[in-house]
Amino acid sequence: MRTIQTEVLIVGGGATGTGVARDCAMRGFKTVLVESRDLAHGTTGRYHGLLHSGGRYVVKDPKAAAECIEENRILRRIMPHCLEDTGGFFVVTPYDDPEFVPKFLEGCRHAEVPVETVPIAEMLRQEPLLNKEISHCFRVPDGSADSFMATELNAESSRQYGASILNYHHVMNLIRRGDQVVGALCHDLVQDEQVAIYADLTVNAAGAWAGKIAATADILVKLLPGKGTMVAISHRAVNTVINRCKMPSDGDIIVPIHTVSVLGTTDVQVTDPDHFAIEPWEVQLMLDEADKLIPGASEMRILRAWAGVRPLFQETVTTDSRDVTRAYALLDHAPRDGVDGVITITGGKWTTYRMMAEATTDKVCQKLDSPRPCRTHLESLPGAERGYHHLGARLKRLEEERSYGQLVCECELVTIEDVHHSISEGNARTVDDIRRDVRLGMGPCQGGFCTYRAVGILHEVKKLENSASNAALRDFLRERWKGLRPILWGRQLKQARLDELIFLNLLNVEQLPGPPATRLQPTMYDEPSTTGGSAAPSEREEAGK
Amino acid sequence: MAGKPDVLVIGAGLAGLTAAWQALTMGKRVRLIAKGWGMTHWHAGCIDVMGEGVDDDGGISDSAGHAMAGTAAVQPDHPYAILGRPKLNEAIDSFAQLCRAYEYPLVGNAGKNWMLPSAVGAARPTYLAPETMIAGDLTDQRPMLIVGLSQLNDFYPGLMADNLNAQGIPAAAVTVDLASLREVRHLNPVMVANRFHSLTFLDEIADAIRPHLNGAERVGLPAVLGFEQPIRVKLELEQRLGCQLFEIPTLPPSVPGIRLHRILVQEIRRLGGVVQEGFEVVAAEISGSRVLRVFSEAGARQKSHAADVFVLATGGILGGGMVAAQTGDIKETIFGLPLSGVKAQQDWLSHEYFDPQGHAVFKTGIRVNRDFRPIDETGSQFAENLIVVGTTLAHCDPLRERSMEGIAVATGFWGGRQAASNESS
Repeated sequence: MRTIQTEVLIVGGGATGTGVARDCAMRGFKTVLVESRDLAHGTTGRYHGLLHSGGRYVVKDPKAAAECIEENRILRRIMPHCLEDTGGFFVVTPYDDPEFVPKFLEGCRHAEVPVETVPIAEMLRQEPLLNKEISHCFRVPDGSADSFMATELNAESSRQYGASILNYHHVMNLIRRGDQVVGALCHDLVQDEQVAIYADLTVNAAGAWAGKIAATADILVKLLPGKGTMVAISHRAVNTVINRCKMPSDGDIIVPIHTVSVLGTTDVQVTDPDHFAIEPWEVQLMLDEADKLIPGASEMRILRAWAGVRPLFQETVTTDSRDVTRAYALLDHAPRDGVDGVITITGGKWTTYRMMAEATTDKVCQKLDSPRPCRTHLESLPGAERGYHHLGARLKRLEEERSYGQLVCECELVTIEDVHHSISEGNARTVDDIRRDVRLGMGPCQGGFCTYRAVGILHEVKKLENSASNAALRDFLRERWKGLRPILWGRQLKQARLDELIFLNLLNVEQLPGPPATRLQPTMYDEPSTTGGSAAPSEREEAGK
Repeated sequence: MAGKPDVLVIGAGLAGLTAAWQALTMGKRVRLIAKGWGMTHWHAGCIDVMGEGVDDDGGISDSAGHAMAGTAAVQPDHPYAILGRPKLNEAIDSFAQLCRAYEYPLVGNAGKNWMLPSAVGAARPTYLAPETMIAGDLTDQRPMLIVGLSQLNDFYPGLMADNLNAQGIPAAAVTVDLASLREVRHLNPVMVANRFHSLTFLDEIADAIRPHLNGAERVGLPAVLGFEQPIRVKLELEQRLGCQLFEIPTLPPSVPGIRLHRILVQEIRRLGGVVQEGFEVVAAEISGSRVLRVFSEAGARQKSHAADVFVLATGGILGGGMVAAQTGDIKETIFGLPLSGVKAQQDWLSHEYFDPQGHAVFKTGIRVNRDFRPIDETGSQFAENLIVVGTTLAHCDPLRERSMEGIAVATGFWGGRQAASNESS
C-alpha cells in the first residue's frame, strides 16, 4: 500500500479545508489535503454565492455580523477577482414588519456594518424590476462570490507553498493508535487503490461530513446537517444582492452571480449529509418568496435547482473544552475526548472561511508547539491584480484575445483554452470538474451542446480509454438531470427535450460501450418523498450560512 | 398567391412541410406559416421509422415494419396504429421518391434498419439514410478512417474511432488542419457545408486526408458535404481518395436535415404553394364546429389568416406546439385542444435520465381519429376542418422510439391529403 508522511493532514476540500491548507503551507508546515471528490464538490460549491456584509446577522447574531464585515474587507483585498462588487439592498416589502427597521439600523451601527438609506426612486432606477411597493431600502457592502474559483485558487496557492492537494481521495477511516489519531486511510478513486497518509496532526475540515469522519476514530461530533435548496433564474434579474429586511428566514435573498440570479434558500434538517432530496415545496417556496421582491420572478426561465448541507454543529460535551464562537466550532479532541492528534473545524459561513482557517492553523501551531504568524490576510490569491470580476469580463477577454471562434460553451463563454487549462493545470478528471473550474454547462442549455465537446477534449487531452470517456459523458448528463428535474416546465422543459434529442437520439450515448456510471460520478439527490416532502417549512434557525 | 388559401398549414417541420406538399399535389391552394424552421434543423437527416420493437415471435427486431406491427399491438392509439402499415409504407416511399427526384436518394436496407455510426461511435438504427451516409454501415467490418477538422468543435474523431474499435469495427482517426479555415470564426457544420461549392476546397480537403488513409477502405466525415449537390461532392471526394466516403450526423444545425427541408420547400414553391416564416400563430377564431381563422403575432402586429381547412403541425413540447406550465397544466398553444396522456406533474419525469421508458410528459399529445381530426376522451371531434399531424400526436415518444421522422412524414403525408379532400371516412 502506498503511504505518505506529512506534518499536517487536512480532510475536506471545501472553502475551509483549502483555506487551512493554504494557511498551513504559508506558515511552512508540510501539508497534505484530501478531498473525497473534486474540490468544492460539497457545501462550498452549492451555496448561493453571497459575500456577506454582515447585514443579515446584525440583529440575530451581532458577533457573526462583526466577523462578516471584517472578513468582507479582507476578502475584497486578497481575492477581488473571485468577487463581484454588486453591493446589497435590504428592503422592506409589504409582507415585512417595518418595526424591524430601527433594530436593523441599530444593529448595523453596533456591528460597524456600513449602511445608507436609498430613496425608493433611486432604488428603482438601479433595480427596475423590484417590487414598487417596497417602502424602505438600505445599501450595504454585500457582494457575490465565485466559491469554485476561490477554492481552486486557495488550492493553487497551497501548492505553490509546497502543499499536496489530493482530490478523489476518499477517507475510509482515521487511523487511530490507542489515544492518538496518526493519519487517515484513503481510497484513491482514480487509481482505485488504498493510500495510508500519516500525519503529526490531522485536521478534520469535512464540514457537514465532519461527524462521519470523526466517528471513524470513535469520536462523537454531532452535526445536524441543514439542507438548503436554491434555484437559479436564467439571467440577471437584478445586479444588486437583494435581502428582505427582517429576521433571516426561508427564501429571503436574491444573489446575482455570473450570468444568473440565485434565489435562496430553505433550511431543513436532514439526518445524513449524503442523502437528501430537493422537495417540490422548497422550489415553490423560493419562487413565491422571489415574487414578493420581484413581481413575476416565478414566471422567468428557471435554469436549475440544487441543494447543499450546512454543517450545523451541536455540542454534546458539557465541559468547557472548546474554542468556539457562535459562528463556527473548533474542537481539540485531546481535552474534549481524550484523543490526541486530531482537531475538528466545522460550522461557519463561506465569508468567514479565512478567519476559521486562521484560528485552526493557530491551533495547529499550538498543537505542534511551533508558533508561526498568519499571513493569509496580507497576501493576495494568485491573479488578484485583475481586480473585481464583472459580468462583462469574459466577453471583454474574448474580444481582446479574438478567440470567439473557439468557444466550447456558448452560454458561459468558455473557450477551448479554458477547458484545456482546466484539464491539464487544474487536473480535472470529469466534465463536472471542468464545470466547477470554468462554469461549463451552467447556462441555459445546461450542457446540451458543450457536454459532447468537453468529453471529446477530455478524451483527447487525458488520453482516456473510450469506456472512461463514455462514462464521463453519461455521468455528467445524470449530474445535470438531478438539478433540472425539479424545475422542468416551460422553456426549460423544451430545452431538456432538445438535449434529449441530441444525446439519446442523435448521439445515442446510452448505447456506447462501458460501464453506465463510474466511481467518479457526482453524488445524486434522493427522490423527493411521495408525501410532498419532509416537514413543512418552519421558522428557521440560522446558524449555517 | 393572393386571397384565402384552401389549406393553411401551421408549422414548418417535416410534418407541416410534407402536409403542404401533399395538399398541393391534390390541386389545392396552400399556404404554410410558421414561427421558424422546425425539426429538420435538429435531427440526423435520416428517416427513423422505429428503433427496435417486439416482433411477431416476441423477440427484439431490428425491422422497422415488425417493430411497427408490435407497436400497434401494444399501443392501439399510436399514430402508426391509426395509419396502418400500407399507408405508412406508401408515405415513406413517396417521400423517398421526392428526394430522389431532387438527386438526393434516401436508401433503405431491404426493410431492415441500418446501423450507422453516431458522432460518438454508437450504433444508430435508422430506416432510410441519405446515400451520403450508408458506407458507414456498422454491420460491415471494413476498416474506416474518421476525419475531423481542427476548427470544427462539434466533432471528435478520436473518441468516435476508439468507440468503434471497442465494438469490433477497425477505425483510425485524424484531425486535419485546413489552411482555408484557419481564419474563420465560430465554425459550424453549415459554414463548412457552404464551402463545398468550391472545387478548390474539395481538393484541399482531399489532399489533407490522403496521407492518412493507411489502408482504410472508407472515410467518415462529419455531415458537411454541401447543400446543393452532396452526392456529387461525395463522388468527387471518393475519386480523389480512391475509397468510399460517408457522412456522420453532427450536433445541430444539421446539414442533412436542412437538405430535406430545402427539398420540401422547393417542391412546395414549384407547385405554387407559399411558405412563410416569422408568423407565430397564437390564437384562433372558432364558430360552431368550424375554425374560421387563426391569428399570428410578429413585430407587435397581429395578422389574421383565414382558410377552408387548417393543418396543425406545431410539434410537441420541443416544437413549441405545447407548453407545460409550472402549475402542472399542459396546453396546446393555439386552439387549446384537448390533450391525451396527461400525467400529474410529479410523474412527468423519471428520476433516472436514461430511463428506457422515457419521460412521461413527452408522451402527452393530441389524440386524433382516423381522419386526423382532434378528438377528446369521449371521441367527439373538436372541429370539422382542423387536422393535426406530426410529433404533437399523443401516445408516442418519437424521440425514444426512434420514430420521429416516420411519424412526421407519414402523418404529414396523409393529414395533408385529408386536408385537401376534407371528407370524413
